[in-house]
Amino acid sequence: MGAVELLLLRRFAWRHWRLTPGQSALLVLILALGVGVFISIRLANQAAVASFTHFTETLTGQSDWIIQAPAGTLPATILPELRRELGALPVHLIPVVEATASAPPTPGADDRFGRPTYTLLGVDLLALANLARTPDQSFMVPPASPPSAADADVNEAFWRAYAAGPQLWISAAFAPSPPRAISLVLDERILTLTVAGVIPTTPAAPRVPANLFVIDLGQLQALVGKNDRVDRVEFIVEPGPRADAVRTELGALLNRLGDAGGRWAVTAPGARRETAATMTRAFRLNLTVLSLLALLVGLYLIFQALDGAVVRRRPEMAILRSLGVEEITLRRVWLAESAVLGLVGGALGLLLGWAGAQICVRAVGQTVNALYYSTSVASAQLTLGESALGLGLGLGAALLAGWWPAREAARTLPAQILQRSRAPASGNPWLGSAALGSGCLGLAAVLVQLPPLRLAGGGRFPLAGYAAAFLGLFGGGIICAFLLPLITRAAKGLGRRQAAWRVALGHLRAPSGRHRLAIAALLCAIAMTGGMAILVASFEETIQGWVERTLQADLYLASAGAQSASSQNRITATTATALTTHPAVAAGTTLVAHPIAFAGGSTLLAGTDLHFFLKKSPPSWVHAPRDLALLDASRNAALALISESFSERFQIGVGAALTLPTPSGPRAVNVVGIFADYGNERGSVLVDARHLRAWFQDDAVTNVSLFVKPGINPDSLRAELMQAYPGLSIFTNTHLRGEILRIFHQTFAITYALEIIGVFVAVIGLALTLASVLLDRREELTTLRALGFSRHELALSAGAEGLTLAVVATVGGLSVSLALGWLLIAVINKQSFGWTLSFALPWAQLAALAVAVSATGAVVSYAVGRWGAELPADREA
Amino acid sequence: MNALNPQLRAAGGRCGRWLSLVNLLAALWAQPGPATMSDGFALPQLGHVFTFPRDHGAHPEFRLEWWYLTGHLFADGGSRYGFQATFFRQTAPDKSTQLHLAHMALLDVQTGRFLHQERLNRDGWDASASNVTLALRNGPWSLRSAAREGAPPRAEDRSAAPAADPMEPMTLLGGIRSEVSFALALTPTKPLVRFGVNGYSRKGAELSAASYYLTFPRLAIDGQLTLGAAAPIHVRGEAWMDHEISSSQLGRDQVGWDWVSIQFNDTPSRELMLYRMRLRDGTTDPASVLQWVSGEGQPTARPFSWEVLSEWKSATTGATYPARVRIATTDLATGAPVSFTLVPLAAEQELSGRLGGIAYWEGACRVFDAAGREVGSAYMELTGYARPLKF
Repeated sequence: MGAVELLLLRRFAWRHWRLTPGQSALLVLILALGVGVFISIRLANQAAVASFTHFTETLTGQSDWIIQAPAGTLPATILPELRRELGALPVHLIPVVEATASAPPTPGADDRFGRPTYTLLGVDLLALANLARTPDQSFMVPPASPPSAADADVNEAFWRAYAAGPQLWISAAFAPSPPRAISLVLDERILTLTVAGVIPTTPAAPRVPANLFVIDLGQLQALVGKNDRVDRVEFIVEPGPRADAVRTELGALLNRLGDAGGRWAVTAPGARRETAATMTRAFRLNLTVLSLLALLVGLYLIFQALDGAVVRRRPEMAILRSLGVEEITLRRVWLAESAVLGLVGGALGLLLGWAGAQICVRAVGQTVNALYYSTSVASAQLTLGESALGLGLGLGAALLAGWWPAREAARTLPAQILQRSRAPASGNPWLGSAALGSGCLGLAAVLVQLPPLRLAGGGRFPLAGYAAAFLGLFGGGIICAFLLPLITRAAKGLGRRQAAWRVALGHLRAPSGRHRLAIAALLCAIAMTGGMAILVASFEETIQGWVERTLQADLYLASAGAQSASSQNRITATTATALTTHPAVAAGTTLVAHPIAFAGGSTLLAGTDLHFFLKKSPPSWVHAPRDLALLDASRNAALALISESFSERFQIGVGAALTLPTPSGPRAVNVVGIFADYGNERGSVLVDARHLRAWFQDDAVTNVSLFVKPGINPDSLRAELMQAYPGLSIFTNTHLRGEILRIFHQTFAITYALEIIGVFVAVIGLALTLASVLLDRREELTTLRALGFSRHELALSAGAEGLTLAVVATVGGLSVSLALGWLLIAVINKQSFGWTLSFALPWAQLAALAVAVSATGAVVSYAVGRWGAELPADREA
Repeated sequence: MNALNPQLRAAGGRCGRWLSLVNLLAALWAQPGPATMSDGFALPQLGHVFTFPRDHGAHPEFRLEWWYLTGHLFADGGSRYGFQATFFRQTAPDKSTQLHLAHMALLDVQTGRFLHQERLNRDGWDASASNVTLALRNGPWSLRSAAREGAPPRAEDRSAAPAADPMEPMTLLGGIRSEVSFALALTPTKPLVRFGVNGYSRKGAELSAASYYLTFPRLAIDGQLTLGAAAPIHVRGEAWMDHEISSSQLGRDQVGWDWVSIQFNDTPSRELMLYRMRLRDGTTDPASVLQWVSGEGQPTARPFSWEVLSEWKSATTGATYPARVRIATTDLATGAPVSFTLVPLAAEQELSGRLGGIAYWEGACRVFDAAGREVGSAYMELTGYARPLKF
């Protein structure tokens, strides 16, 4: 940049910023808001995913390899086998058992899902010392069992501590000072475990999450009944010059021993994080795109603001041009100014985004908990990469939005200073192109027909669907402005009586580019909010219908420890039998679900009494089964039902043959039906419980549902069972329905927040547009005042103009929202989650949105009008 | 015994003679002692009949046990290394389980670089000691007899001369992280030696301070050593292996011990072992012993004195250890006074004892006679210098 540009920046741009600090601040704030929303969603997403793997890593550092059974657990007998096969390879083998537990329900409190869930990590705490990561011997001599002078040797304290029964090690983040004991619901029991101490860490290790408890491996195995079983084995190559060679050799050996995934799957470092990332990728992408759409509204706004600045400074630019400053120089100065603005806005956006993420992270965390796996992020971290992205986004948006105004500014002819009234209508001429608008809408119609982008592990991303949404919003915004002349004609009668109205409508009869811009921005926000409202309403109606059809039993029982989608807490077979054969129970059934690896992703293999399931509480069918053998446990061993999500995710339909991994070897089944299941996005395969028990050699169950005998009050039976089984969560039918809907609304909490921000930003945009318009019309305002217009009348005129714009944008926005709602339901949601939803219109919500936007638009415009009425003819703004 | 102490400090040689005599008498008078300690752990008994290969294996009824290999390796190119491979076993106070601790160390004499690693595991899939024969594992480390398990045990006849033990080779797989690894075949070239009184070795005045002490004084080594990322090199050399079984090693006033094994270069090959139990006031416990091993493998006690010629202070633990040491005794064959000076091949051969809680110095040494001629190789072990030991 040359000396002239710098001089101009200092003398010309900087002076403006200084003289009108309010406007400058507003512009920066808008940019910051856009960047902030995007960044906060990204950070919250990342935090939710990042919390996934921290568990073992906090103790051991990153593993080199991990082996895991394709279904169920691994027998502990593989450990000596592995050590034997590994020979003298310098490798630490770390068998891990993981369990989940929750805080016990508070007596008297309403039994709701979402109580704190903890991960219990079982590792050999003595062998951990071999890793030389934790401080010396810290796990060996717990603070609760300090060494004493009477000890025969250094190991005495260790022996005392580990003979004392199961003890928990807690995170420093859990409580400032460790409690003596903690009560937990594990499976169907409530246990009180002594606290041994705080998990020791080194400064380099990742922070220990608050919801992580560490227990000695053998003790946890005994607690959760996983004797002689482990969930996974992690391998850490000992450091040294040969470590890389050892890692490679180990990987090959593990793959060979694992029988190509038959016995176990070998995953590389970070792959578990990858699994978590894959699992939630669709969900996170959806949120990110939604935040990008919010940024689109912001982009319109920045454009409006910069355009306004051009209007205000046009006289100066004309002078500069007449003084011989070249067009290119002016354009450069203008873009440099935009860039500075973008950077400042981006930086402020980072701050806003970080603050917003602290709020969002809880909501995202709750959703991830409900749908995917247990996570406990309390804060989101701003990384260097995210900071660069935020600044880049601010810069990019400012340059993109500043491009056209910069051109306009540079092209200002000196003559225009002499004849302000002939100032050309500003704004991008594209916005006046009906062809472009129709083209966008046409292309959107084509794009909705395209299939989703398929990601690894059965993940899907509806790229074409989102592109269609974007084009629809953009094209709809352009086309909508063509409604303005129609509306003004319709409103003619009104205008006859009121001079202020006449003036307002006169301006709108031939809408300027600026008017079009305001409409496009407002339409974008309204359409998005409306579309989202339609999606949520449709979802809610569908879920309600599904719940009513499928929830037929009177009582539903699960472990009170089961508070998240990944919970492994179960009910023992003995208890399940005791419940189903209770004298007050007419009939009962159980459901068990095991996570399995399938086609590179993770899904659920569930078992229930199919006869009972189909006869007593049939699901909503997507494809009803016709094979009657399904009802007969002696003939249905090779038959399976799949959920709609599973079908969509793995592209499997009725008649397909599946090979399911089980601890007793792979099992082949045929798909005979597809049912709707809105509770689970990963999908599930349902087989008869009798076969599943045999395959998994495991008779514990996940849920029990009971039908009470006639004349029995479910509430009193619930009270009785709660007394007998304090570790169980027991829901009556009504209560469970309520809980499902509550969780459902929680899932959409962030989306609502985003849309409200969008509408807010768009209304600001409307105000900015009117301010620019009024500035442009200073001569006219002077004339009107001279003609006897009062300040109120001038403001009224602006209010009428704003109201008309808002109404037109609302009409267009609601129309586009219908299309967008359909797009979200039938394309984007179906492609991402595989759920078929029925279409429902939330009339009241949409009406409220329309009234709110129009009224706010009118009020804000009136306020701007009052400000504009005071403008002196030749004041430099 | 107290009257002996000032003399002991003044002149080791003379009272050394007394010491070994007292030791022997104490051992004989002690019989029959209690079979167990007050906490139920077994106590070594004089006159115990060893059965092999069973007694090469573990004895969980005793609280403590170790298999201790130290040796000198020479590569084909002439490079020299010292190595240590130790497997410890400890039974829990409630006898429900055991702990296995293992130490590995390697000294690269050329560079003076000393590497070591510890490994601690509970008895189970990743660490165990067979009760049948020599078969020890701790993580990737192992020491096994090459003889097949289940070979019929051979009981010794107490009245007859101890039968020569089969010269069965052993295999040691060891290393230090991904920095060093070694796979060594160890073949006894001399019969098993039973130190003390036919393997019953007293360590202090208390009856409980005793161990069974079995040693292979000379094992021929043939194997491979891998240093860093370099290709494995072929090594030969000689090792010494102790196997000690006890429930209490130290008396009440003892704070540690110094132990030395010397393998002389003469033919027929002779060895020397000494342990010096140190008392709280720094003096030598009368239960200390020096024993020669003849060419035929017969142990014979001789009086000795211990003189520290120089010291070395550890930067890691702050402990000050003897460095160069002169041992004076009488020659096994001639009875003439002899003295040997031990010169460590590197000063820094301390194991910091991060996991086991016991820091000690265990190092390869050269051995010089009074005339300054190099007459053999040795390993010296110095314990209780960082802080008093207790077990």
